[in-house]
Amino acid sequence: MSESRTVICRCEEITLEEIKETVERFQCSSREIKLRTRAGMGPCGGRTCRGMIDRVVEQMGGPAISDEVSLSYRPPVRPVSFGVLGGETK
Amino acid sequence: MRSMRVNDHPVLGSLEKQKKIKIYFDGKSYEAYEGDTIASALLASGVRTLRKHEDKNTPRGIYCNIGHCFECRVQLNGKNTVRACLTPVENNMKIESNISLSSMSPKGGTL
Repeated sequence: MSESRTVICRCEEITLEEIKETVERFQCSSREIKLRTRAGMGPCGGRTCRGMIDRVVEQMGGPAISDEVSLSYRPPVRPVSFGVLGGETK
Repeated sequence: MRSMRVNDHPVLGSLEKQKKIKIYFDGKSYEAYEGDTIASALLASGVRTLRKHEDKNTPRGIYCNIGHCFECRVQLNGKNTVRACLTPVENNMKIESNISLSSMSPKGGTL
């Protein structure tokens, strides 16, 4: 399958081609990829694509994947509705 | 549409008799079994598109089926957004696709 059709981040529908183009153009880290393309910022919180983005960036000469998490986890860890945040109990 | 439910499985055996209930998806009624998830009930009824992508308007359905990817989210009874793969069906449940925003929403500019 061509890179333009290989979806890496399904939530934001970002393809492998878009990620590679962004890495080439800006020589950037996976965090910068996330901020530039929105890959990893959808409802699943990067659960599905985090590892793939890290790996693509590393393969293209970006910073090596270290033991530290490069794409950070931020609260809320799971998506929460405004209703629940506002105290709705059901 | 012909049911896609696996009634006789080569390893798991035959499906035991289940209690039938009715659910509504985007206004259309479908048959489901008690104990189904929304995703399994609709897939068994041949519904593979659960929603459209909010921005790109491309179809989405079950992807991981374990509550991990949030691809199957649907709106329940006009209110809560839930994951179809984790939510058990209830009789007369009203399920709707999430609204696609593509045609109406303003774009945030380009890079």
